[in-house]
Amino acid sequence: MPLLRVNGLSKKFGKIAALTDVGLEIREGEILGLIGPNGAGKSTLFECLAGVLPFDSGAILSGGVATNEVLFYMPDGIAPWPDQSVSWMLDFVIGYFGGRSAMRDEVIRQFDLSGFLRQRIGTLSKGQRKRALIAAGLLAPQSVLLIDEPLDGLDLRQMRDIAAALRWHADQGRTLFLSIHQISDAARFCDRFVLLSGGRIRGEGTIPQLAELAGNAAERNLEEVFLALT
Amino acid sequence: MRSRNAFLWLLNKEWRELLASRAWWLLVLLMGPLTGVGFIGAMQSYAEVSGFNGTSAGVGEALSPLIGVWGPMFSACELGAVFLLPFAAIRMVGADRQSGALRLELQGGVSPGLRILAKALLALAGWMFAMLPAGIGILLWSLYGGALDGRELASVIGGHVLNAGLTIALGFSAAAVTEHPSTAAIATLGITVGTWILNFLAALQGGVWERVAAYTPAVVVSDFSHGLIQLRTVLVEVLLILAGLGVAAIWQRLGVGVRRRGMESAMLLAGVSAMVFACSFVRATWDVSENRGNSFPAADERALRGLEAPLTIVVHLAAEDPRRADLERNALSKLRRVVPRLEVRYVSSTGIGMFEQTREGYGEIQYSIGGRTSTSRMTTAEGVLESIYTLGGVTVPADVRETVFRGHPLAVPPRGAPAIFYGVWPGAILVLAIVVRRRNRG
Repeated sequence: MPLLRVNGLSKKFGKIAALTDVGLEIREGEILGLIGPNGAGKSTLFECLAGVLPFDSGAILSGGVATNEVLFYMPDGIAPWPDQSVSWMLDFVIGYFGGRSAMRDEVIRQFDLSGFLRQRIGTLSKGQRKRALIAAGLLAPQSVLLIDEPLDGLDLRQMRDIAAALRWHADQGRTLFLSIHQISDAARFCDRFVLLSGGRIRGEGTIPQLAELAGNAAERNLEEVFLALT
Repeated sequence: MRSRNAFLWLLNKEWRELLASRAWWLLVLLMGPLTGVGFIGAMQSYAEVSGFNGTSAGVGEALSPLIGVWGPMFSACELGAVFLLPFAAIRMVGADRQSGALRLELQGGVSPGLRILAKALLALAGWMFAMLPAGIGILLWSLYGGALDGRELASVIGGHVLNAGLTIALGFSAAAVTEHPSTAAIATLGITVGTWILNFLAALQGGVWERVAAYTPAVVVSDFSHGLIQLRTVLVEVLLILAGLGVAAIWQRLGVGVRRRGMESAMLLAGVSAMVFACSFVRATWDVSENRGNSFPAADERALRGLEAPLTIVVHLAAEDPRRADLERNALSKLRRVVPRLEVRYVSSTGIGMFEQTREGYGEIQYSIGGRTSTSRMTTAEGVLESIYTLGGVTVPADVRETVFRGHPLAVPPRGAPAIFYGVWPGAILVLAIVVRRRNRG
């Protein structure tokens, strides 16, 4: 039973089609990876789903509930409230969005934030900021969390730690939809995949399902499957 | 409950962002010396005119703190509202967009209108704090032994708060509509300069320009600073503030198409324009100046209110002729407030009038009441009243001795004021800014 279904979503910037007839579904408790090269339309799709970018046509069905009550989107490359501390940001997300206060200490531990909790967000390194923002996103109350490039700017150890933390949250019932341009990274910890290229969906499913779609059911390498489908 | 909590968190966030804003601290810091220049200069002149240091004290009856001290001192607020406040306001809205905070906050279920309201409340509170040096000026004046009139002060402060509200609304809407704060700053300054051009045109051309210019910040502040409160001005300014905030709220909704946001803004502005037009017919005014500088004597006002037939005044003076300004200030602006049916028409072929002097009829003021007409060239209040009374068959009011304004001379130099405005205030604000910004990070 999908938590959220997207039907025929299209978006143009002037004459350039960023998204064309995009359809997908997000299922409860899964880690869904949105895979695609740079410029495929991943961020555009997330922004349209989150309601911070208008789309031209299509529908987002979320079981009769307002979309922003179901999903929360954490964009890539932002430095919100740069003059405020990380600690304040976590409190703000809990207070303003009615977030998960019981999970505050847990995300601080999982994302190793204690060393820079009192530091201003604007002064954090790219990796620190990424960790702090993912932690903030996980405190939001919505059941589906969209994270744009969660692994970008992280070193190998951080990447593994964060992947483990995200898996833990998925096991707790949180649904994660992650946009990842490094296919090998995505293959490691996503349950299902949505392949996006040139603004069009090229396939959706697990690796075996996608391999079958690509006409090579025995293939288990996501990169090869992606290349075959795009 | 949830949305109330969210709104309180928004206020908390805006408060912290305001305290973190260098633009706002700079505004607060500069307001001290700016206010000091006005206050100290005004006090020195006031003291001299009042007889300080052996100077002549023969004009004591003309001494009004409203005109002599509060006007010059509060002009710092006007400067601040034009050149400093817009940047602080633009930062409050533009920074969220630049940093990406807007994209997160929009997902919180709090309406864009409430977001803008929270920002507006904090911006206004920030401005009130920035006006504190003027409060120090009032305190010093009082300590020097100067007379205070609450209604006059309320009028001056009210005018500057309205002006600040307009600036904040303009800054917010410009920051919301444009992609970048620098574009918003250019747009805001462009509109400000536009109002100055409008005032210039009003002075040159009169007519419809003059009526529109009556709502520009410079004219509104001037009216309030003279103790003249016009209900239509207050209503129009409040409507313009709401329009600016409304436009800002509309353009905060990033998830709505640009065309639809444009349409909604156009509809809002059309609606506000209609309401502004309706408000322009509201006539209620109050002269709260202690010396009743915006009014005829009460007996004359009673007589003028009794005029039943419409009064038409045709003035053959060019817009830049100083006699026209005298006539407007001394008589016509006061007449408009009391005569029930008054029509004033200015007639001239040129803007400056220099080459019309030889034209027959130039300089004449024609009065018409109930088919009777008369002509005069006098531009004083007494001359105008005499013409109207004669023509209208009105019995000249007896010279009733009303409470006469005797002035409030104060021959005291502004002792200690330079140290407070140029030293203590900037120093205190600097220390406060450092301490608060450090604590804010905790």
